[in-house]
Amino acid sequence: MMEFIADMDLIYKIGLAVAFLAILISFTAFVREKEDIHKLIIVDLIELTGLVVIALIATDLAEALILPGLVVGVAEILAVSELWLTKEGLQRVPTVKRADIEVLHTAPKIIGALLAAYGIFLTGFTGGLIAGLGLALFFLGMNTSENFSSSESASGYAWALWVLGFLVFMIFPSQWFFALMLAAVGIMIKVMAKISLVGTMRGDGS
Amino acid sequence: MIGAILLEIPFGDMVHYLSEYTVVLFAFAVIFVLLAIVSLPEKPIDIVFGTDGYTVKETPKDLGKFQRFMAIACGIATMGVIITGDVFNFTLLAAIIGVLNIGIVAGVKNRHVLSAAFSYGLVVMMATVPLFAGAAIILATTGTLSIWELAATGGVPIVAKLLLLIGVFGEGMAPFYIGKAEITRASGAPYILMIHVSSLLLFLRLVEILLTV
Repeated sequence: MMEFIADMDLIYKIGLAVAFLAILISFTAFVREKEDIHKLIIVDLIELTGLVVIALIATDLAEALILPGLVVGVAEILAVSELWLTKEGLQRVPTVKRADIEVLHTAPKIIGALLAAYGIFLTGFTGGLIAGLGLALFFLGMNTSENFSSSESASGYAWALWVLGFLVFMIFPSQWFFALMLAAVGIMIKVMAKISLVGTMRGDGS
Repeated sequence: MIGAILLEIPFGDMVHYLSEYTVVLFAFAVIFVLLAIVSLPEKPIDIVFGTDGYTVKETPKDLGKFQRFMAIACGIATMGVIITGDVFNFTLLAAIIGVLNIGIVAGVKNRHVLSAAFSYGLVVMMATVPLFAGAAIILATTGTLSIWELAATGGVPIVAKLLLLIGVFGEGMAPFYIGKAEITRASGAPYILMIHVSSLLLFLRLVEILLTV
């Protein structure tokens, strides 16, 4: 134990000390809090301090470890907050009023098409994000009643492509370019479908 | 590693393995996943005191399906925990087991069950801190997360081992929280077993890792 502390770099020691101080402070906050929803928010804060400890590794690997850690954290907070909503019976949908904005009737078609085309040209995660933003803008402006199950299934197939790309990477490393292209197109469609769904969230329960 | 290595599954530079010890745990997980697949939800019967009357609690069909899916997913995550040869994958799958344990009971429309699941959810989220911190400190001090290399070189600080242990305490606490509330208050028996099985197997695998590295 003493040996372990002596072996570390000074900067890592300082970082760990600060991180554990933050963990201590956030846990104290949790113990003092009585309200359920505030507890939930503080727990999210506590999770972030855990990510700080991972970040202290300070190599490329730290990033590879933070991402899944973050994803698990987000999944947990989604599950638990959904649980809290059910527990408190707070799942009613508020009524919405529409602001009739002129520019949202005309602009989204052009901007959406441009962004989608540029996104497809870029491919990969960035391309999916940009094309998705275009679609989100389109759906936000145009009050369309699309059938989203088809875009959802496209996203499902795209995900399968992405996984296939990874398998090719691992099993036939010589075909890396093919695998890269599979993964790039797959993730592009996947991200695009997911982001475009944001544009349909009008809060009217549809 | 405890016992001889029976099977190695290389996947890139991550080598999953089954030893004589973990193969038993793996078989156990497989059996309970199969049970969750084939069995129907039970119908708990309450006897009304003072009479010979009884009431039957039916599990709604969609709730049964949801619980079955969650139980199977939890079983698969448990298999992952048992077979993995990498400390970070272990911590990640342990955290996923925690979420899925909540998921198994999340559909039950019963305030007591939901309260218990919520409290456990908070514990699970907090437990990810020591869990990931333990893995991070192992990586920072030894430069690797592979159980194979750690077993060969050793040198994992006791602090990291303790943090991992505390993390798994939090993730594997479900049977004391939701398991009991669920069994006494609501239906869904064959799937609830997975909460207990996954926690038990998670602890047993952690023991193997802590004795190996």
